[in-house]
Amino acid sequence: MRIIRNLAILAVAFFVSQALAQDYDLPILEHVYENGLRLLVIERPGEQRVVSKIFTDMGALNETPGEYGAAHFLEHLMFKGTPTLGSQDWEREKEVHAQIRAAEDALIEELNRSRNVLRDRGVFHDYQHSETTPRIDELHALIDSLNRQAQELSEEGPMKTWYQAYGGTRTTATTEQEYMKFDLDLPADRVELFLRVEADRMQNSIFRNFDAERMVLVEQRLGDLNRAETEFREAMNSLVGRASMVYVPEGYTNDFLQYTRRYERELYETYFVPNNTTLIFIGGVTLEDMIPKVDKYFAHMERAPEPARYQGREPLPSAEKRLNWRSNTLAPRVEVRYQIPGVGHPDRPLFDVLSDAFEAHLQSVVADVGIDGTVDINTRVVHTTRFGVPASINIELVLADASQIDKAESALLAELHRLGEEPLPADLVAQARKKLRTEWYRTAVDPNALAFQIGHFEVMDSWRTLKPYLEARDAVTADDLRRLAGKYFIAGNRSVGVVLPGEAQQ
Amino acid sequence: MRKLLLLAVFISAPSLSQELTHPREMGLPDSDYTRPDPAEYELALENGLIAYVAEADQVPLVTMSAFVRGGVVSDEKQGAAESLADALQNSGPSGMSSSDFKSSLKEMTAEFVVEMHGEWTEITLNVPAEDIDQALPIFAGLLRQPAISDANIARAASGAAPEAKDLGGESGTALYEGSMNAAVDHFYGIIYKGHPYGRRPTTENFNDLRVADVANFHGRYFVPGNIRIAVAGAIDVDEINARLVNLFGDWAAADVPEAKLMPAITRSRAALHHFPSKKLQSWLVIGHDLPPVPLKEQAAFEVMDYIMGAYHLNTRVMRETRYKYGYTNDASSFAEDRWYGPGGYTYRSYSRPEVIENIYRNMMGELIRIRDEEVSEHEMFVAKGALADGIFQVRYLDGYALTRSFALERLRYGNHDRSASYVQRIRAVSKEDVLNAARKYIRPDNMQVIILGEDAFELE
Repeated sequence: MRIIRNLAILAVAFFVSQALAQDYDLPILEHVYENGLRLLVIERPGEQRVVSKIFTDMGALNETPGEYGAAHFLEHLMFKGTPTLGSQDWEREKEVHAQIRAAEDALIEELNRSRNVLRDRGVFHDYQHSETTPRIDELHALIDSLNRQAQELSEEGPMKTWYQAYGGTRTTATTEQEYMKFDLDLPADRVELFLRVEADRMQNSIFRNFDAERMVLVEQRLGDLNRAETEFREAMNSLVGRASMVYVPEGYTNDFLQYTRRYERELYETYFVPNNTTLIFIGGVTLEDMIPKVDKYFAHMERAPEPARYQGREPLPSAEKRLNWRSNTLAPRVEVRYQIPGVGHPDRPLFDVLSDAFEAHLQSVVADVGIDGTVDINTRVVHTTRFGVPASINIELVLADASQIDKAESALLAELHRLGEEPLPADLVAQARKKLRTEWYRTAVDPNALAFQIGHFEVMDSWRTLKPYLEARDAVTADDLRRLAGKYFIAGNRSVGVVLPGEAQQ
Repeated sequence: MRKLLLLAVFISAPSLSQELTHPREMGLPDSDYTRPDPAEYELALENGLIAYVAEADQVPLVTMSAFVRGGVVSDEKQGAAESLADALQNSGPSGMSSSDFKSSLKEMTAEFVVEMHGEWTEITLNVPAEDIDQALPIFAGLLRQPAISDANIARAASGAAPEAKDLGGESGTALYEGSMNAAVDHFYGIIYKGHPYGRRPTTENFNDLRVADVANFHGRYFVPGNIRIAVAGAIDVDEINARLVNLFGDWAAADVPEAKLMPAITRSRAALHHFPSKKLQSWLVIGHDLPPVPLKEQAAFEVMDYIMGAYHLNTRVMRETRYKYGYTNDASSFAEDRWYGPGGYTYRSYSRPEVIENIYRNMMGELIRIRDEEVSEHEMFVAKGALADGIFQVRYLDGYALTRSFALERLRYGNHDRSASYVQRIRAVSKEDVLNAARKYIRPDNMQVIILGEDAFELE
């Protein structure tokens, strides 16, 4: 494979001082293959293990309505093996999978044909609507039977098994709005195992045990819904965003039952291509050694048409929005959210400093005016706190006493307004900068967490953005935060949620 | 027919040029891993205090941890240990006000953890390297002379109250992970009923407690020979060693308290215990006590446990609940040993209520099967590789991990023999050893089954 770029790039320095530049030392080495595959390595000579990750630039942002959670489900399916990993008799098993696909096609046709029978047209449906037809039942039974046949011809856990056997740990995977990644830490001299399995997973995944696995997602969703906060947070997300896929939940129960092999295959074939993939290694390997090794397992893959990047964006904010949420299980609270820019925008790193500095300030103000409550300022949407697209900053004040809701909301809004007028105390800002720097060290000291950050920045914007992002936080002043608040914390960009005592009206 | 042919093409065979040698045939090298030598990191003071110090300079941070043999079951007067934990966490060292202590931690952006377990206590302080001059004296002061007051007793007593207000936002005990914790608490409440490990200080205990009692507990257990320290980070090892000598060298040696051996528990016949909870899921814990595992059986026990359900991986119980049937997101085993008495050995899962019985039956089926028949060669291969080449290596991955592992091992066992022989012992385990371990450490007749959820079922 011809080498397009093979550069040792120390990320561009936006020096605050020489000491800080040293602090954010990120000796990332990059190699991009002809087929578009990106390889990133941090060499740590002498280390006996290596952290290995493969990032794909796709996630919930790329799902279509009615199939929310499908990207996450695809990640589960990609643990089910390939023809060469997990089959006892691939020739026979292949035939059964073909029959399953045919049965699923027939099922889709029948579901379409029977749509007027199946549809729940009521407003207050309870997700228990379960109309069916004899043909649908017959096809479900056929698929169940074929699933069992395929299961008898396959082995469970076909990829993890080999990772485990050869000393692999952290055999995990994660899918969020903007990425899917698979992880492994293993002895450095066995790194080829990761390449062999991941190249196979990327090209030859067989969606075994599809219908059982979809119930695992149901379990994960039920786990989320057991938290009283989940539904409130999802309601807040949908209040903030009108169009962006960032704010969409991980899937409703309805969606889990709708997933089809056909749609999952479409996602898989569209996004799991070399020119949409980044490999990251940190530990006892070198770029020089890794280039031919990666080449051996990934070179045969041809560059594919570029998957369309998600370009959705919100319409310009035009009005304050409000949610009144009734709950007797969730503590009373006031929450104010504003949309903020994504990673890659120069204002985004400033919000990290603002969150910490303003949280400390607000906590003190709240106590001074006699409000018994706890302030939490975060940028989390679903599970993720940073995005390459616009998302939100969430200023939450959880109260001990519901009678203080009005007072708390007034105090909160007054302080948010004041933040745009007067700078925060400089010592609070300095403390926030130090806290963020220390938190970064705590991330970077763990090669697994560091590799994640590199991959995450790559899918959000570019891995090269990471170091300037960290350095920009170090340069933030109180006046910068005042300007930021004045620009973004405006009524038209505001969503307010209050949790009031009372039974949820369902 | 045409359609079937098209589908067969769709689920296509791998492209011919792809390198698809099976992992077994790849010729992956045998492990040449050698555990680091603890002697290279050891600093032994004349008063009996031992520290392990290592450089780890990827980032400018320093972590200092102290491990003390003594915990909540060690105190003579109940509540003294919990009150000391509060003093360590909130009051800081003598000669420093509580507010100055907290300000100092905040100023350093420190991570500070005090965890008091049953038989040992951990105090960990992680700070930027630039703050080490400020942090080390605080760390030493906490160990040598914490500020203990009535406020600590009062705060520890409030933790004993049945319902503390949770400002986190949710009330009720039956929540996702929280509910598993509640189910596990019920399990230990049942097996430790009447046992010293099951005791909890009451409000009356705290009312009877005086500052002198807490100080006595500290004076008895926080002595140099009963403490092991780990320091790692962006440091100069020689310099840190000199500073440790300076901070702790004049601490007078004192008698190290004898380990308090705990009695075996009184075992009960298998029973189901239902704790009703109206949630979307039910939580299941199956288990019984785990007697101390002697060194000669430890490796076989670990291999057996790994094959059955450890570490949330591709194990027997995971395959028979999640992978094959989609009943649950997780089904795993937890071998929780105690240093000086019986621990617990449990299998845990959770699911929508309608399949919780299926999970129970499938897990019990596997618990019985592993006692009846030998495991496969493949299972042995996977478990040994995972334990010896994976999990064990991670314990010594860097300066932070290895100093911590060495300090804890030395405190618990007095030497490093176990880690020195670990890989060899794992490699030597036979299928017969695994069968014997299963027959000894899995006892279906004593299984206590905890269900936290809407409905229960009958045990066979």
